[in-house]
Amino acid sequence: MKKSILTLAIAFTTITGFAQKIVIKGSDTVLPLSQKEAESYMKKNSGKSITVIGGGSGVGIAALMDGTTDIAMSSRTLKMDERMKLKDAGRAFKEVTVANDALAVIVNPSNKIGKLTREQLEAIYTGKIKNWKEVGGDDMLIVVYSRETSSGTYEFFKEHVMNKKNYASSVLNMPATGAIIQSVSQTKGAIGYVGLAYISKEVKDVAVSYDKGKTYVPASIANAKNKTYPIVRPLFYFYPVQKEKQVKPFIDFILSAEGQQIVDQIGYVGLK
Amino acid sequence: MKRKLYSIVLSICLAYSATAQEPEATPLDTLTNRVGMIQSNLDVLNRIKISGYLQPQFQVADSTGEQSYAGGNFTDTDKRFQLRRARVKVQYDAPLNEKGISPAQFVFQIDVTQNGVTIKDMYGKLTDKWIGWFSLTAGMQNRPFGYEIGYSSSMRESPERSRVIQIIFPNERDLGAMIIIQGPKTGTWNWLKLEAGMFNGTGAPGAGVNTSDFDKKKDFIGHLSMSRTVGGEKIKYGLGVSYYDGGFRIDTSNVWKPGLDAAGTPGFLPVSTKADVAPSKANREYAKRKYTGVDAQFSIDWFPGITTLRGEYLQGEQPGTSSTTTSPSAPVVTNDIYNRNFNGAYFYFLQDILQTPFQAIVKYDWYDPNTDAAGDEVGKPVTGNVKATTAADLKYTTLGLGMAYRYNENIKFTAYYDMVENEESSNLASGINYSRDLPDNVFTLRMQVKF
Repeated sequence: MKKSILTLAIAFTTITGFAQKIVIKGSDTVLPLSQKEAESYMKKNSGKSITVIGGGSGVGIAALMDGTTDIAMSSRTLKMDERMKLKDAGRAFKEVTVANDALAVIVNPSNKIGKLTREQLEAIYTGKIKNWKEVGGDDMLIVVYSRETSSGTYEFFKEHVMNKKNYASSVLNMPATGAIIQSVSQTKGAIGYVGLAYISKEVKDVAVSYDKGKTYVPASIANAKNKTYPIVRPLFYFYPVQKEKQVKPFIDFILSAEGQQIVDQIGYVGLK
Repeated sequence: MKRKLYSIVLSICLAYSATAQEPEATPLDTLTNRVGMIQSNLDVLNRIKISGYLQPQFQVADSTGEQSYAGGNFTDTDKRFQLRRARVKVQYDAPLNEKGISPAQFVFQIDVTQNGVTIKDMYGKLTDKWIGWFSLTAGMQNRPFGYEIGYSSSMRESPERSRVIQIIFPNERDLGAMIIIQGPKTGTWNWLKLEAGMFNGTGAPGAGVNTSDFDKKKDFIGHLSMSRTVGGEKIKYGLGVSYYDGGFRIDTSNVWKPGLDAAGTPGFLPVSTKADVAPSKANREYAKRKYTGVDAQFSIDWFPGITTLRGEYLQGEQPGTSSTTTSPSAPVVTNDIYNRNFNGAYFYFLQDILQTPFQAIVKYDWYDPNTDAAGDEVGKPVTGNVKATTAADLKYTTLGLGMAYRYNENIKFTAYYDMVENEESSNLASGINYSRDLPDNVFTLRMQVKF
C-alpha cells in the first residue's frame, strides 16, 4: 500500500513537473530579455522550468502554428495570413506587449561617421549609396549587414527605415543579431542594425535623424522613452489561449514592476 | 639488407609520428561534425513536403435520386456516406540559391476515393534564378481564373465550390503551360500577380472525363490579381480580373445561338454559317468559349473575431448541348451545339466566433446558364426554325448555411445545409416538374483530417 502511494506521489510530481515546463521560441531580439526574465522567474519559483530558443520571429510564429512552443516571441505583429492560419488550425491565441525596443544602427568603431539621416540609411540599404565618402566618411566601400528574411527586425527596418523599399541584393543577411555584431566589429566599412540591448564596445552606434538632418538622436533607453528616438518598436509574446494557465504567471512576472526593471536593466525599453 | 630494414622501421616510425601529431578530435568537434551532417541531411529532407487531407462525410438529401452539386448526384438513395476527397500531395522545392530564390518546384497530387484514383496536380515550376519575378509552370494544374478555383478544398469553408464554377470549370484543372509574374515575397511588388497560360480546354481527369485534347485550338486563361494588408496587418483585401478565350471544334452541322421566334419567345436560332461541316476535322470551325470575371476578398481581424467577405462574378459565352451547359471535355459529334450567354456569382460571409474554434459560414451563389430566357419563357414552345429552351436553361440559386468547428490543426468538422432553388417554369411541368421548386436541398456533415 505504502509502495503504491509512493509511486502515485512520484508520478504526480513528475506530471506536475512536466506541466510547469514552458517553451519559448522566436525572435532573436527578444531572446536576451526572455532569458533574463526566465532566469529571475525560475530563481523565485523553484521547480518551474523555462526553455528559451531563438531563430527569428518567423520561426516562433511557425512553432506557434504547429504547436511546438508555448510562447512565440516576436519583434513584429502577426501578419493577416498568419492570423488566419492560426484560426484555421483551431489555435486561438493572445497577444501581449512585453517591452519596447530601440533599434540601433551600428558601424565599426574605427568609422568616423557618427550620425546618419533616415534617407541616407535608406539609400545605403537599397544600394544607392555604396561608399562612406558619399555621407561624409572616408573613401571606403560600405559593407551592409542585415538580418535574415524570417526576422521581424528585417521587416521592421524595411518598413520603418527604408520606407518599404527593397534591400539591395548586395546586402549580407546574417542568421542572428550576434553575427551582425561580430561582423561589424571585424569589418571597417560595415554597417548593421541591432536591438539596443545588443550594443557593446565592439561596435559604435550612430545617431539618427528623421527630420532630414535637423536633429540627430542617439539610440538610448531615455531617448526611446521620451519618444525622441524614432526607431522604436514593441516586442510581443503570442501564446495559445489553452496554455494561458500555464504561461500567465510568467507573463505576469514580466509585466510586474520587477520584470519591467529587468527590461530596463538589460537595454530594452520598459512599458512604463 | 640492414639498411633496408632500418629504412622500413624509420618509415613506420615517421608515419606513426605523423599520425600522432594530428590533433585529436575533441567531443565538441565530433558533436559539431555530427550536427553538420544531420543539418545537411535535414536540408535535403526539407526540400520534400508531403501533405494531404481526407474528407469523409455523411449527407442527407431532400429526395431519393437527387441531382446535386453537393458532391455529385444521389443514386437511388437520399442518404449516403462518402469519401469526398482523399488527397496526397508531394512537393519538391529545389534549394534556395544565393539570392534566396528556389529555381524549381515539382508538385504531384492524387485523389483516392471510392471512385478510384485520379491525378489532380502534376506540374513543374521553373522560376528565373536572377530576380525571382518570372515563373513558368507546365503540366496538369489549376486554371488561373478567379479565386475559388485555386482555393484549396481543404481550406474552403463550404463543402463544395459554387455551381457556376463546377459547371464552367469541371475538376478545376487542365493541361497546359502558364507564366506567372510576381515579385519576390520580400519585395515591394509581391502584392501584384499576373498568371497567363495556354491550356487544352478539355479539363482534368474526373469521373468520365477525357483529358486528351481533340482539337487544334488552345484556350487562353489569364488572371491579374492584387492582395494587400493595411491597418497594422489586421485588414487584408484583394481584387482580381480574369479572362478566358477558347473554344472547341464543331463536329455537327447543327449549331444554334440565342434568339427569338416570330412571337418574341426566346429560343435558339440556327447559325447559318455552320450549315455544313467541313469533311476534314482540321478545317472545321470552333464554338467560342469566352468568359470574363472579377473577384474580391476582404478580411478584418477585430473584436468579434476574423470576418471575411469574398465574392466573384463571371459571365460569358458557353457552348453546350440542349440538355447541359457543362464545359465539354470531348467532341460533341452527334448532338447539336447550343451557344448560350451565361452569368454566375458567389458570395461568402465568414465569421469566426470570438476566440472560439467555431466559424459561422454563409454562402450564396447563382448560376444562370441562359440570360436570354427567364421564368416561364424557359421551355415555352416556339415556332418556325427555332429550338425551344429546356431545363438546362433554368437558373439556380443556392443559399448555404454552416458552422465549422476546428478541433485542432489536423481535424475540422463542418455542418452545412445547402438550400437550392431553381427557376420555376410552367412550361416545364412534364417529366421533372420544374413549375415548382424541386426538393433538392442537402445537409452535409463532414470531418476533415489534414496532415
